[in-house]
Parts: sequence; structure tokens; C-alpha cells
Amino acid sequence: MTPLWYVIGIAFAGLTFVFITIAASWLLTHRHKGDRHKGLPYESGIDTYGDTWGRFGLSFYIYALLFVAFDIEVIFIYLWALVFRDVLLGGLVSMALFVAILLVGLGYAWRKGVLTWK
Amino acid sequence: MSVLARPWSRLTPAGKVVLPLLGLLVFLTLALLVGFATGLIPGLIRFVGDLLGANIGIVRFVVAASAILLMSVPTAFVIIYMELKVIALMNLRLGPNRVGPWGSLHSIVHGLKVLGKEDFTPTGVDVPVFTLAPAVTFLAPVLGLLVLPFAPGLLGIDMNLALLYFFAVSGLSVLGLMMAGWSSFNKYSLLGGLRAAAQIISYEIPLTLAVVGVIMLAGTMSLNQIVMNQSGSILDWYMFKQPLGFVIFFIAATAEGNRTPFDLTEADSELVAGFATEYSGMRFGFFFFAEYVGVFILSALTTVLFLGGWNAPFDIDPVLNALGIRFDLALDLARLDVGLLFLLALGPVVGTLLIALPIWMLRSDWSFLKSLVIGFILLNVLLAAAVGVWLALSFEAVVGLGWFLVKTYFFVFLFVWMRATLPRVRIDQLMGFAWKWMLPASLVNLFVTALAIIVVSEVR
Repeated sequence: MTPLWYVIGIAFAGLTFVFITIAASWLLTHRHKGDRHKGLPYESGIDTYGDTWGRFGLSFYIYALLFVAFDIEVIFIYLWALVFRDVLLGGLVSMALFVAILLVGLGYAWRKGVLTWK
Repeated sequence: MSVLARPWSRLTPAGKVVLPLLGLLVFLTLALLVGFATGLIPGLIRFVGDLLGANIGIVRFVVAASAILLMSVPTAFVIIYMELKVIALMNLRLGPNRVGPWGSLHSIVHGLKVLGKEDFTPTGVDVPVFTLAPAVTFLAPVLGLLVLPFAPGLLGIDMNLALLYFFAVSGLSVLGLMMAGWSSFNKYSLLGGLRAAAQIISYEIPLTLAVVGVIMLAGTMSLNQIVMNQSGSILDWYMFKQPLGFVIFFIAATAEGNRTPFDLTEADSELVAGFATEYSGMRFGFFFFAEYVGVFILSALTTVLFLGGWNAPFDIDPVLNALGIRFDLALDLARLDVGLLFLLALGPVVGTLLIALPIWMLRSDWSFLKSLVIGFILLNVLLAAAVGVWLALSFEAVVGLGWFLVKTYFFVFLFVWMRATLPRVRIDQLMGFAWKWMLPASLVNLFVTALAIIVVSEVR
């Protein structure tokens, strides 16, 4: 069996475990519909107000963008790190250039103040 | 009126469970008898044996999967108990002390209680996403357990990209928390989920960059190989070659596991319970399951990468040889012949009596039955200890597993200790720390390691 089948199999087994447990709990316990207030979201006692699935802060979005850029960088760095003992100084210089380009972007974001939570 | 004679609708829930089971039992017994009488079952056993032999890969997978799923449950229970008890002792409280000795069975009862709670879905939620979210969150640490090397030869699979795989699947937990937060139709949940996403993805970068030094030193991403490269003395552990990477990794792991001081996703003073506000019963339980298994796998990964995994910090054999202690425990039970039967039958009885009698004589206020029970329990503890020692001396993997668990639970203890000690940080401090301090520090660590490797290889 290849590793891929292991991963798929474990994922399947894990999902089965979760749903069997939830189903067992569903079968074991009492269920009561309650009145209208039981189904309302719990927001510290007052009825929910306004739109929940509406707008939220832009900072989350900007962090996600930064994350994508740096996470791709990490994937390249991992591959570079694996073969580092074969490339040595040349590899170090080229990786320094690559990281420097991304760091310019990070510096720009820092300067613009998006790294400071608002 | 007996249970069997009562009409179905008047049975208690327990009766409704027991009655079909009773019928099933009778049916299975009859089927077994008939099967043996006709020679069907022996033939079936032979057939299944051949089938298992032919598909050894699948058998290995099934064993690995069951072991991983089964070990996740007691692990979570142990860590929950540790958290309750250790924090209580640090706060000069008693902590759980009712169920079992020193309250040690508390978390099992806790788990059963959660299983018995109502499984409720609020009206406003997005039902499929709401139901799937705990499963996805729980899946992330379980998939991570697949590649962790516990002891020599004791691991799910030896993947050559294990480290990359590990970070990829632990990224799934972000997805689960986001799904929970978004689908709950609750503003606290939404904020909790978004905070979880922002925090975890921000700390994912220092976490993944901090181990680049280890990859460069080891020249591989296979966790098994990384542990093997650290064999030898304690100085070969990467903790000493990568001190900065180790510190960065540990801080980022704290944030990844949503642990105090970085547990803003479920900050109960601000967000009620964060993403889990609308959950109840077993679905809520799975979030906590996932959190505690997550603490375990993060501690285990720290151990594997920086503390030499299953390697012992010092070699004990030369010491034992110098002291003139030699172990030769090649037990050959077959030599006992008929005596083996007597040992199996009389051993527990005689052992229990031998332990119970002194207790009974010394403690005059205890009844004989109580002394017997205590004696039996003590005998079992002693037997388990003896078997453990025998296993440890006979198999290298058991010693390795022991060291691995000691190191891992040291880190679990550290996580619990931090929870008892440190106050929660503010969200702006949290995010600023990730991008302005951790990221540059991990890049510095990377380039310093690269330079050091170049210098060392030039000198040689």
C-alpha cells in the first residue's frame, strides 16, 4: 500500500469514528425541541441582532494574503533545504535574493501599517 | 412481570437495548454450535488466515489505523486529567478527587457525561457545515499521528515527506475552526473562527520556517530519519544545534495549538467560548478531543525534531556492565510443561492471599473482603510492573517508547504549566509578535544555519 492510500484510509477511519460516536450519542440521549428561544444563538442573553453573515474586519483578509505569499515561500525553502548540502554557497546567495524580494514586500506592508492590528 | 413478557412500548430505554442484544446472543450461540458441528467454521478460519497472509499490507494498515484511533482517546483523557490536577495543585486547590484514586478516573466520567448530553442543533445554523466541522477539526491531529515515529519500528508509515505532510494536515484544523465559526450563526463564533484562522495562519509561517534548520542539518524530511540522525549522546540532539529554532518552534506551537497565552480563539472573557459557543454534547466534545490530541502531537513533534525522539539521553549499557549487572531473561515458558497450568490457575489465588494476609493482620479495622480486594489490585499492579520490566529488557522498542513518552509528556506538562501561569495576550500583540518578531527571527535562524553549514564543510 502506498502512503497515499494510508492517508485516505486513516481519514476515512477517523471520519467514521467521529460520526459513529456522534450517532451513538444521538441514540443514547434525550432530545427535546424546546421553545423558540432554545434554538436562538447564544449571545449573552439578548436576542440576536442584525446580520451575522455580513461584514467583518479587513485585517483578516490582508493577513490571509500575506500568509499565502509566505507559505508558498516556505514550500520552496523546504525543497531548497533538502538539497542544501549539494548547492552550498550558490544556493545560499540565490535563496537570500529570493527571500529579500519577499522581505521588501513585508517591509512595504509594515511601513503601510497593515501589520498593526486595528 | 418479566422483561420478556412486557409489551415493547412499555419497556425502558435500557430494556429496549438489552432485549435485542439478548436475542442476538442466543442466535450467535446457536450459529456457532451449528457452524462447528458442520465443520463450516474451521474451514472459514483457514480461509481467512490465507486471505490475511495474502494481503499483509492491508492488515498492517488496519492495525495502524486502529492503534492510532484507539490511542487518541486515552491520550486526550490523560491530558485532560493532567490539566485539571496540575493547574489545581499549582493554584493550591485539590482538583478532581472523587472518582478513582486521586480523581484519576475523573476525565473518563467526564467523557461519558459528554456522550450522554443532548445533541442539539440550533435553528439558524448551516447544518451540513456545522456537523462536519468537529470531524474536520478532529481529523487534523489524527492524520498527524500517522507519521510520528514513537519507537524504532513503531510508526504508521515512514513517509519521505513526513514533515511537509505533517504541516499540511495540521493546517486542516484552521479549516475546521473556520467552518465551525462561520456556520454557527453567532457573532461570538464568527469572531472566534476568524481569529483562529488569522492566528493559526500567522504562526504557521514561523513554525514551518523554524524547522528548516533541522531539515538542512538532517538532509531529509522523514521524521524517522531525523530521529535516527540524533542517535548517540545527548549533544547530538538538534535542541543544542538549533537553540533559536527550538524556542521559535515551541512558541509557535503554543499558538498553533490555541493554548494559553495564545488562546484568543476561545477567550472566555471576551467571546464566551469562541468558535464552539453554539456546540453542545459530543460535537462540542470533539473540539476538545482535537485540542488535547493536538497538544500531544505538537509535543511529540517537538520531541522528534529537537529532543531526539526515542533516543535515550545517555547510554545505560556501559554503566550496567561496569557494575557487573547482566540481564538474561529469555523466558522459556514451555519448559514448565504441566506446571504452567498450575501456575496460571493457582498463581493469582496464592499471590492475592500472600499480599492480603499481612494487610488483614496489620489493619484490624478492615474486613477480610476489603483486604482481599486491595491485595488483588496490588498483585495486578506488581504483575504489570514485572511484565513492563521484562518487556523493557527484552525489546528495544519498549525502552524507546518509554523515553519518547517521557519527553513528550514533559512538553505537555510545560503547556499545562504555561496555562496555569501566563495571562492571555491581546490580539494586536499576538499578531504583531508573529509578523514583526517571529518571522524575522526564524529567517535569521535559517541563514545563520546555512552559513554555519557552509563554513563547517569548507573547513573540513
